Amino acid sequence: MAAAAMSCAASLRLLPFKPNLFASSVQYPAKALILRPLKPSELPSFRRTIITFQKISTGNVRPPSASPPSSSEDFQPIEELPPELQEIVKLFQSVQEPRAKYRQLIFYGEHLKPLDPQFKTRENKVEGCVSQVWVRAFFDDQRNVVYEADSDSSITKGLAALLVQGLSGRPVPEILRVTPDFALLLGLQQSLSPSRNNGFLNMLKLMQKKALHLEVKGEEDSSSEESLESSFVPTPETNGGVSVVDKDTESKPSFVEDLGAEDSDGGSDVVALGSRGMRIREKLEKELNPVELEVEDVSYQHAGHAAVRGSAGDDGETHFNLRIVSDAFQGKSLVKRHRMIYDLLQEELKNGLHALSIVAKTPAEV
Amino acid sequence: MEGVAMKLPSFKSLAPNAISIGHRSFSRVRRSSSLSVFSAASSSATVATSSESVSLGHRVRKDFRILHQEVNGSKLVYLDSAATSQKPSVVLEALQNYYEFYNSNVHRGIHYLSAKATDEFELARKKVARFINASDSKEIVFTRNATEAINLVAYSWGLLNLKPGDEVSLTVAEHHSCIVPWQLVSEKTGAVLKYVMLNEDEVPDVDKLREMISPKTKLVAVHHVSNVLASCLPIEEIVVCAHNVGAKVLVDACQSVPHMVVDVQKLNADFLVASSHKMCGPTGIGFLYGKSDLLQSMPPFLGGGEMISDVFLDHSTYAEPPSRFEAGTPAIGEAIALGAAIDYLSEIGMPKIHEYEVELGKYLYGKLSALPDVRIYGPRPSESVHRGALCSFNVEGLHPTDLATFLDQQHGVAIRSGHHCAQPLHRYLGVNASARASLYFYNTKEDVDSFVVALADTVSFFNSFK
Repeated sequence: MAAAAMSCAASLRLLPFKPNLFASSVQYPAKALILRPLKPSELPSFRRTIITFQKISTGNVRPPSASPPSSSEDFQPIEELPPELQEIVKLFQSVQEPRAKYRQLIFYGEHLKPLDPQFKTRENKVEGCVSQVWVRAFFDDQRNVVYEADSDSSITKGLAALLVQGLSGRPVPEILRVTPDFALLLGLQQSLSPSRNNGFLNMLKLMQKKALHLEVKGEEDSSSEESLESSFVPTPETNGGVSVVDKDTESKPSFVEDLGAEDSDGGSDVVALGSRGMRIREKLEKELNPVELEVEDVSYQHAGHAAVRGSAGDDGETHFNLRIVSDAFQGKSLVKRHRMIYDLLQEELKNGLHALSIVAKTPAEV
Repeated sequence: MEGVAMKLPSFKSLAPNAISIGHRSFSRVRRSSSLSVFSAASSSATVATSSESVSLGHRVRKDFRILHQEVNGSKLVYLDSAATSQKPSVVLEALQNYYEFYNSNVHRGIHYLSAKATDEFELARKKVARFINASDSKEIVFTRNATEAINLVAYSWGLLNLKPGDEVSLTVAEHHSCIVPWQLVSEKTGAVLKYVMLNEDEVPDVDKLREMISPKTKLVAVHHVSNVLASCLPIEEIVVCAHNVGAKVLVDACQSVPHMVVDVQKLNADFLVASSHKMCGPTGIGFLYGKSDLLQSMPPFLGGGEMISDVFLDHSTYAEPPSRFEAGTPAIGEAIALGAAIDYLSEIGMPKIHEYEVELGKYLYGKLSALPDVRIYGPRPSESVHRGALCSFNVEGLHPTDLATFLDQQHGVAIRSGHHCAQPLHRYLGVNASARASLYFYNTKEDVDSFVVALADTVSFFNSFK
């Protein structure tokens, strides 16, 4: 991982200086994508599990929020990416020469499974591409999303192939969690500014929108079978009309913050951590000696998708938000910090813990 | 050549390829002072040997600091002036100067600064009028850009004068800015839009246009020089045709005013529009030229301060043109900077600029068409057909986006890829997009050479996958 961190920095240096690199680095809270179709007034009251553990009172208790690492300098660590995508990123990082990178990219494109012309429809077309790009998505029998794509431009086709290979066969939440940040790691000087000409960004957005759409449709089909507690309720508006993931990424964080603010008022909804949550807390406390520790069970947000339903694990405790402030992170890169935490929670990960969203800081950084 | 030497004492009016003894001795004296600046400024400039004069492109490069940079590790080669032009330092200084020394609102105040600002602003208007040979500076309305100017005519003149069944004639090669406003207004008025297609030379079919113009036609709106085809329309002829049936003519001169002499009286156009940012001026300012009596007859477009005479609670009376169409505080500094751009261009001389670009454009066309699998759109240059200095093209089997991306990232060459705001034209040509390299008088032969080398490299890179 250290190598990844270092070559990550190296790839960044290849990029021309973009002053707004981080400012516009998409705040892409996947959870906002899940929640987005609902108007705030329609939000069901979420039952949340929050325990804030503070050794030293810092005076400002952060309101429980659903957003993943929100500070703009954090960009998505590579471990949060689907495994295939991680491999692809590492491959590109190992190729230093720009021309060779292009060759690699085009190679991916050439080996992309052709898309049947019948799927080259308007709904499958990526908006705002100067070249034509189509993306198709469907569930396999394990409710993982399978993608197919095509483009008339070699470079765009390569990027599409990257995304198809990196995201295909993965479950919806994992796909939704992916932010475009990883494109920076490829070293292709891919701009991340939301603009109508940004084919790559728009491709990813469309793929995520389609994944979400599949999820919503799937839930509608099965919502009669199960009554899911505090699950995201599809409304008529969301049916096929998932609010267009708009190009204005600025609106996302504020939406999430509103949500956070709203929920902090619902004190009566706090529920104790389940056994896994407790174990996680204990482990982290013991090993990291944190100054601040927040363990938040957000599994309900993922209830209803295959990996959770009847999962071998403790009552569906599958997704957690962690916020840890500890000296143990001193001198360690972001990637290393996340690695530490994942290592500590190996057992849980093997036994049904599906994903973690981590904020890891040293006391000085708070 | 000797005649030229006699006539031109000034260094600036050197014809690009002039070779003459008299010239040389004269120009040597002049040149030596700026010679060091050339060699410092542009590493690609071929400094004059004793038998060659420095080309216009090389001479002016020092005035454009932005051209002296590297992008993605290569020297910048800017070939996208049809999208927007670069600005010489004098224009930037004029803008800075305005804000630093006499920024003040115009037409309103009495104090010294506002009087000075007003004078300079109105002087800029006079400069524009003179530049296109309008008979009066009152015929120049400052707008945000040419697009706004066309909308002005559409909403002001169009809404008043177009009735159901009236026809507006356009070509399929028009820029979206000269299509969409007419669509919007024809929806409201019931007028009908008619388009001429291209002929076998890949230029709009002027014969068909002549046939199309009928007593029903109220307006003919056409480009002067096409931003994709590089073709030039015979505006004078078209105007004669249109006036015969009582139709007005609007000329979209965005690609002509910056590059050649445009004389509105000679053309006899009723309306003419252009944007400052394509002619070495800043963005945010453009103009509409309209014949006095026409503008007089037109109702306001945008309402607000400046365009009024008296304002009561229930109604207002309006100012005379051009003020009638200039609501609110204008882009004062920008207008003044446009004036400076016009001064700069005039000092070089539009005929010289045009002559240089014809040569360089021919050179570009020649080198580009010599490459295999390259298809350039528009007419072939000849004695009778002068193309604008741009080439929109496609390479067989290579998407223009791939092309432009690779050129930029591997070679620092800036071209455009897409539909260039001319989707109907591309649809007609049967392509989704094209690449376009466009020149301006600050480009050099070396720029074209670099581009062609880079293009060949790009093509071979992508071909290696086949």
